[in-house]
Amino acid sequence: MSTRETASGSGAESDLDYDDLGLVAGLEIHQQLDTTTKLFCQCPTELREPEEADRTFTRYLHPTRSELGEIDEAALEESRVDREFEYLAYDSTCLVEEDDEPPHELDAEALETVLEIAQLMDMSPVDQAHVMRKIVVDGSNTSGFQRSTLIATDGEIETSEGAVGIEDLMLEEESAQRVEETDDGVRYSLDRLGIPLVEIGTKPDISTPEQALEAAERIGMLLRSTGKVKRGLGTIRQDVNVSIADGARVEIKGVQSLDDIDDIVRTEAARQRELVEIREELAERDASVGDVQDVTDVFEDTESGVIGGALNSGGAVMGVPLAGFDGIVGREIAPDRRLGTELSDHAKRHGAGGIFHTDELPAYGVTEDEVAALREAVGAGPDDAVAIVAADTDVAEAAIEAAAERAETALEGVPEETRGANDDGTTRYLRPLPGAARMYPETDVPPVEPDPSEVPEPELLTEKVERYQDEFDLGEGLAEQVAYGKHMPLFEDVVADGIDPTLAATTLESTLTELRRDDVPIEALTEAHIASVLQLVEAGELPNEGVPDLLTVLAEEPDQTAEEAAEDAGLGGADEAEVREAVVGVVERNEEQVAEEGMQAFSGLMGECMGALRGKADGDLVSQLLREEIQKRS
Amino acid sequence: MNPGDRVRVDRADRTYEGVLLPSSTDEQLVVKLEGGYNVGVDRDGADISVLAEDVYEIDGDADGDDAVDAAEDADADADDDASDEVEFDDDLPTISLISTGGTIASTVDYRTGAVTAQFDAEDVLRAVPDLAGRANYRGRVVANILSENMEPPIWQDLAEAVHEEIENGADGVVVMHGTDTMQYSASALSFMLETPVPIVFTGSQRSADRPSSDNVMNAVSAVEAAKSDCAEVLVCMHGTESDDVCALHRGTRVRKNHTSRRDAFETVGAEPLGTVDYHSETVSFRRDYQERGEVDLTLSDALESDVELLKFTPGMDPAFLDVVEGAEGLVIEGTGLGHVHTDLIPRIEELIADGTTVVMTSQCLEGRVCDRVYDTGRDLLDAGVIEAGDTLPGTAKVKLMWALANEESVTETMQTSIAGELQERSVPWE
Repeated sequence: MSTRETASGSGAESDLDYDDLGLVAGLEIHQQLDTTTKLFCQCPTELREPEEADRTFTRYLHPTRSELGEIDEAALEESRVDREFEYLAYDSTCLVEEDDEPPHELDAEALETVLEIAQLMDMSPVDQAHVMRKIVVDGSNTSGFQRSTLIATDGEIETSEGAVGIEDLMLEEESAQRVEETDDGVRYSLDRLGIPLVEIGTKPDISTPEQALEAAERIGMLLRSTGKVKRGLGTIRQDVNVSIADGARVEIKGVQSLDDIDDIVRTEAARQRELVEIREELAERDASVGDVQDVTDVFEDTESGVIGGALNSGGAVMGVPLAGFDGIVGREIAPDRRLGTELSDHAKRHGAGGIFHTDELPAYGVTEDEVAALREAVGAGPDDAVAIVAADTDVAEAAIEAAAERAETALEGVPEETRGANDDGTTRYLRPLPGAARMYPETDVPPVEPDPSEVPEPELLTEKVERYQDEFDLGEGLAEQVAYGKHMPLFEDVVADGIDPTLAATTLESTLTELRRDDVPIEALTEAHIASVLQLVEAGELPNEGVPDLLTVLAEEPDQTAEEAAEDAGLGGADEAEVREAVVGVVERNEEQVAEEGMQAFSGLMGECMGALRGKADGDLVSQLLREEIQKRS
Repeated sequence: MNPGDRVRVDRADRTYEGVLLPSSTDEQLVVKLEGGYNVGVDRDGADISVLAEDVYEIDGDADGDDAVDAAEDADADADDDASDEVEFDDDLPTISLISTGGTIASTVDYRTGAVTAQFDAEDVLRAVPDLAGRANYRGRVVANILSENMEPPIWQDLAEAVHEEIENGADGVVVMHGTDTMQYSASALSFMLETPVPIVFTGSQRSADRPSSDNVMNAVSAVEAAKSDCAEVLVCMHGTESDDVCALHRGTRVRKNHTSRRDAFETVGAEPLGTVDYHSETVSFRRDYQERGEVDLTLSDALESDVELLKFTPGMDPAFLDVVEGAEGLVIEGTGLGHVHTDLIPRIEELIADGTTVVMTSQCLEGRVCDRVYDTGRDLLDAGVIEAGDTLPGTAKVKLMWALANEESVTETMQTSIAGELQERSVPWE
């Protein structure tokens, strides 16, 4: 059984009564917009490979006060770590991304797109939108802030479990892509920085994991209905806010896949319930957190690789006694994650590799004698636990303090915090919740007054599915594939240009998929390639059967036009005489069979004829001529 | 209802709750919502109720007259705490931090939303904690202006303040200055002061209210340069787009050559005189410089204010020359080797005959003026125009103001290097 199944499928979790628990969840959906230029400059919104970078530069960031004189707690914690940020710049980025030129005015195309989205969610645009700076000092924005603008408030979407309110809609700039950790800090790529991003926040109206998933799906459908959002990995991200009645608001960042949302909510609700139970048990035991102590002496002759390694390089072992915590530090609060893992997450933020605690010791080379000596050194009894950190002295001190602080919080229950989604459906501590203090006005960009009166109302994808069935006679499955697929705008364009809808739909949804499976490099095909191939069919210059072959040729040599490729590859244009010659050849080679079976031989020979013509001829014509030739001979 | 109050605004079908901001106008209320976002609401048809008064103390400017207040503040600061001392350490040199305003010490003006300078030198210490432990600091405010509002009398105030600080034992001076006119102020001090200690101008291209501001590195590097052995007037700003090296430019040879880049400042016609490595905090120099203690401190701060700088361009109305009639001095930014339209030469000759000193520089910026090559040039020389060699046009204007007030032979002075402004050899690769 995989970890993932543990997360979603274990009986205890799925049986939770969420009503009883007082589960409250909200979503924040971030979706990149497919605009021509970035939000605050005229650069294209295309992604690049790090190897294509032609310039690099390095910077540091320092936290600043908001206009109300406050410093954001999350920003402050982030900045305690002095890191150097390196940025990769491209021929497709400019000085605005490098924070070496003031931002240009807010992109009009992006504004129009988010107003369309606001309308789909029944939201009210603000009279005047003010661009704000949201302080982010992890280096992902060269400026040290993300520009974000509140565009609309107070909407609603439907789910089968009732309406979910939409709190607000923001138009923001996408952050720079993290490429890798370097020795001194982090390397970021500027290609993604500044791509317009819409953030949609729901009200905390969601009360079950299933409703969270449904609401996210609904919002995703509405976004894609505009036809103006980017598609593919990383272009949409979901954050989930979860709390239970006795718990606290926890913001979970970076849920990559929509399908994980219900699991994340389930696991988080269960984690909070466990933490509440731990709080009650600790209260019963009258538990407390003691003072941090240097326990290096205990491990002088240790066999433990981790501790020995730290001590050999001049480090220290710092410990903290946790009175009444015995057995609780090791208690599982989420699949394969214990209270100790939470303490460890906090210690890691300060540069330590993690913590050891007595609920898991002796282990990792730490002996029973050492555990006994450790307990004695910090004055811990049998009902108590001890947590230790081995690292450079400074790091060990900061890390054990952070772990002790987190243990202290366990006495109070669930801490409010920002967590990151792990691949297995669990989450890890990231940083404190950001506050309003991290927002201050972007004085370089004038406010804008959104004009909702000129915004078109797009057709919803759900409506498209029905229309494709009614109007174009597509089957429900194919209609859905097309409407929700990334080629939907292309489909509508070519059909409007007179291409047969069935041909367009099968080409876009089946043919391309089949070619990809056959390792044809279809990513080289542009929309113009596909459209012109379909035009050739429509004009009678290419048989339906020639479409896969022509697309293959174009994918391999994308510099050609469809007409050139068709001609070079000898596709299409086989006239009747040519076809008849091929058919006669096949019939003559199979003379005996035709004589014996007559028209029964048709289907076998049809395949052979098509093969001989290699997609150059229309199937109907081949079929007609083959019948005639068989007729003649039987 | 006042800025700082918590309010609820109902308009049409919407309700906003938050803190009322002073950036509100007659047409619109600006409200900071719970999540930190600001939103503008049309006053027309809005129903406003105050939920709580003064939940935030807002440091706005009640009477809305910034200019007056800024000047008053500066005066008050200069009088009351002309030199605030912050913790003294015998082992460290003493550096005077002199503020004139500008982005390095600026913050967002809450009311107008614009970036303005509101900090005194001590605030800079608070704003740039990285300065701590490098020196003993004395803070002083000479002005609190945006540098586009700089005027020659403030150069004089600044020169006097620097003179006083050095007299009182400062081992180096850092002048925090807006970047727009920093090169002019640096030139002015270069001519007015003979200094036995470094005088280092610095500022920032990206305002101090953003985490990415270049103010921290520039200020730290300027302090390191002020502790160095180079007793000249220098400009210390980013040397590259990265936070790695600051360049040290001679005050008379530097020019702001980009509107927004961090490394906007460049030494014209040569590599910068020196650099400060931000990582190793080492200061190094490419060429010879005047060493600490080499000269005695002297101040010659008289200036002739009646001097203009005129850029000649094709199609220029000759009437511009009428405007400067009777002026003491005129610096022309000519084309190429130092030319103007031939038709203007007789009028220039009249001006000179009338007592105006006319100096020729080139809008090429790189290279020196030479009016002996073409007829136009020779005619200008015959008219009495003085060539300023490779002196930058802006520097030449400041120098002429200074020369007219301090030197007997202005012609000779304009053709002699006083503070490194005129290079004898054209060796731009050095």
